[in-house]
Amino acid sequence: MSPDAQKQTKQLPKVGIYGLTGCAGDQLTIVNCEDQILDIFGAADIRSFLMAMSNNVEGELDVALVEGSVSSQGDKAMLEDIRKRSKILIAIGNCACNGGPQAACAMENNFKERFKQVYGDVKLSIPEPLDAKPLSAYVQVDYMIPGCPIDKWEFLRALGRLVKGDAPQPIRYPVCVECKYNENECLLFKNEICLGPITVGGCDSVCINHNIPCVGCRGPVTEANVAGEVEMLVNMKHPHFPKRVNFDYQDVRNRAMMYGGTTMAELLDKVKLKGAKK
Amino acid sequence: MKEIKVEHLARVEGHGAISVEIEGKKVTNVKFEVLEGPRLFETITLGKTPLENLSVVPRICAICTLSHKTASIRGLEKCLGVDAPEKAHLMRELMMAGEAIESHALHVYLLALPDLLGYPNAIAMVGKYPEAVIQGLTLKKFGNSVMELCSGRATHGENPTIGGFGKYPTNEQLYAIKDQVDTLIPYAKDVVDILGSMKYPEFYEKETVFACCNPPNNEYGLIADEIILSDGQKFDCEDYKKITNERVVPHSYAKRSLYKGAPFTVGSLARINNLGSRLKGEAGEMYEKYKSPRWKKNPMFNNLAQAIELLYALEKIPELVDRLVELKDPPLAKPTRSSGKGTGAVEAPRGTLYHSYEVKDGRMAKVDIITPTAQNYEDIEKYFRLAAEHMVAEGWKDDEIRFQLEMIARAYDPCISCSAHLVKVVRK
Repeated sequence: MSPDAQKQTKQLPKVGIYGLTGCAGDQLTIVNCEDQILDIFGAADIRSFLMAMSNNVEGELDVALVEGSVSSQGDKAMLEDIRKRSKILIAIGNCACNGGPQAACAMENNFKERFKQVYGDVKLSIPEPLDAKPLSAYVQVDYMIPGCPIDKWEFLRALGRLVKGDAPQPIRYPVCVECKYNENECLLFKNEICLGPITVGGCDSVCINHNIPCVGCRGPVTEANVAGEVEMLVNMKHPHFPKRVNFDYQDVRNRAMMYGGTTMAELLDKVKLKGAKK
Repeated sequence: MKEIKVEHLARVEGHGAISVEIEGKKVTNVKFEVLEGPRLFETITLGKTPLENLSVVPRICAICTLSHKTASIRGLEKCLGVDAPEKAHLMRELMMAGEAIESHALHVYLLALPDLLGYPNAIAMVGKYPEAVIQGLTLKKFGNSVMELCSGRATHGENPTIGGFGKYPTNEQLYAIKDQVDTLIPYAKDVVDILGSMKYPEFYEKETVFACCNPPNNEYGLIADEIILSDGQKFDCEDYKKITNERVVPHSYAKRSLYKGAPFTVGSLARINNLGSRLKGEAGEMYEKYKSPRWKKNPMFNNLAQAIELLYALEKIPELVDRLVELKDPPLAKPTRSSGKGTGAVEAPRGTLYHSYEVKDGRMAKVDIITPTAQNYEDIEKYFRLAAEHMVAEGWKDDEIRFQLEMIARAYDPCISCSAHLVKVVRK
């Protein structure tokens, strides 16, 4: 909300929460704020939240939070409408930020084939679906809250700042930072494809805390050194770990593309491996 | 021609629309449209590793993420010849109970009760029904805490894996969960009584077929390899296609299922109808107190069935904890082969969920996932039609028709993300 708008009215900021194509996990994370949900409804004028309410009013908004990828003409039209009537538009969750797992084949360009594989030759009476893309492929996105799903506390911090008219603070460090604080043993040295070095932090390295390698579900961190990660997994001989196995480039790419979406596809496109065939 | 349409079904997960076409006093067409864009999950993991498949497929649905996880693990363990240790099986039951509590509390208190008490949402109920809202949120939070403890986080946790768990909770953590149950059981009993004394409309009642997992040893439960139908037939879950018979309809991105050419219902009401007599404890007493032949005919009773299951899941937790604390943390069971076929079936909160796989040389070769809502669509449309025909003949107003149909849809607790938004009435 701009300072001018704030002066004009002491009304609560108008907020809308929407879902395009996805698992609704980010909206669910908001509903999962059991101890804060009454405060959220007290601090913001929640005009629309289809997953939780039926008396929704679709008008001008100070803040729109949008989950999900654009995967149908309906999604695209809805997103464009939300953008037109919102001062600030925030992508919440991996699908909205990067395209999500449904964009895992973004590099393959085979959406029509895959659609036929699942649905057969049926002629749909509803509009043709679209290959999954993040919100930024169609409209201007002001901020992103990453994650699969979003982290409850990161969301509450962002919303707290937004209702006071401040900008949310994005996390700019990778999962490894939190993993080091948690004193985990590095899983890269245990011959696991761990995506912690290139994945945006904020999850408290939860998977590695459980001995499970990072699957990259929060998407690429700002300035992710994707070439470095790939090089390390595919080509590295580490003097201290002679038993390290090197991975096939395709396997590393598959892993990075699980949650990296179109953002990771662009980053991987720029990777030039020394001596290895791409 | 006139069309009554609910464009965006509220208080459900995902995008659905309901449309009813009317000519004069006759209903000519009823459609439950799923407008959630297709995500083609069954193609995403082909050629990738079983562990990659296991990470991605629970992202189909946030609410039943752990049901997807468990079904996927069970299918993949069959493919790879993995014999998971007892502690892993008990942990899977524990996390499924946590998910049932979270999902049922969310639906019963926050999504369905507002309909039944005449409010647009649960927050608006706080003034008159503060206890119900607070108790619902407390139960939901408890369910989430169980899911978090078992899987690493409330949604899409990665701790459950092939052959066991990355890390097991400590006995202190398990006892902390068990200690909360006693205060929560009276909440669940109260909501069973609220829903049990509710009056539901009779005009669309019609008997249907129910399907659910059939746990061994005559027990009530959420995980099994055998499927039981209310007509007495039993199937191995590997033969799931004989029950589900998926087909594509032109007005929806969601596939549909028919059993012997007729629609059927899965979910809490199916489990309570098929297995309710096996319930013990307070859940068993509540089942006996309210059981009714109308349960076989009216989907609105799914709300009551969920409340009884809420009680069942709460009572199950201390039992599981007592067994878990006796067992040492086992290492992950290893795959004994790299190729094979297998199907995992579980009872997700909304019904039977199948994950059927084929793995060849350590890569996913075939992925088939049948979700509960996909199986329920045909029956939801059937009840829409029965209700709409009566309401149109009786001259109900469009808004009243719309509201009734939305209530039927919400009673099914449809998880549209899983298959793929809501009610339109067209008058010609």
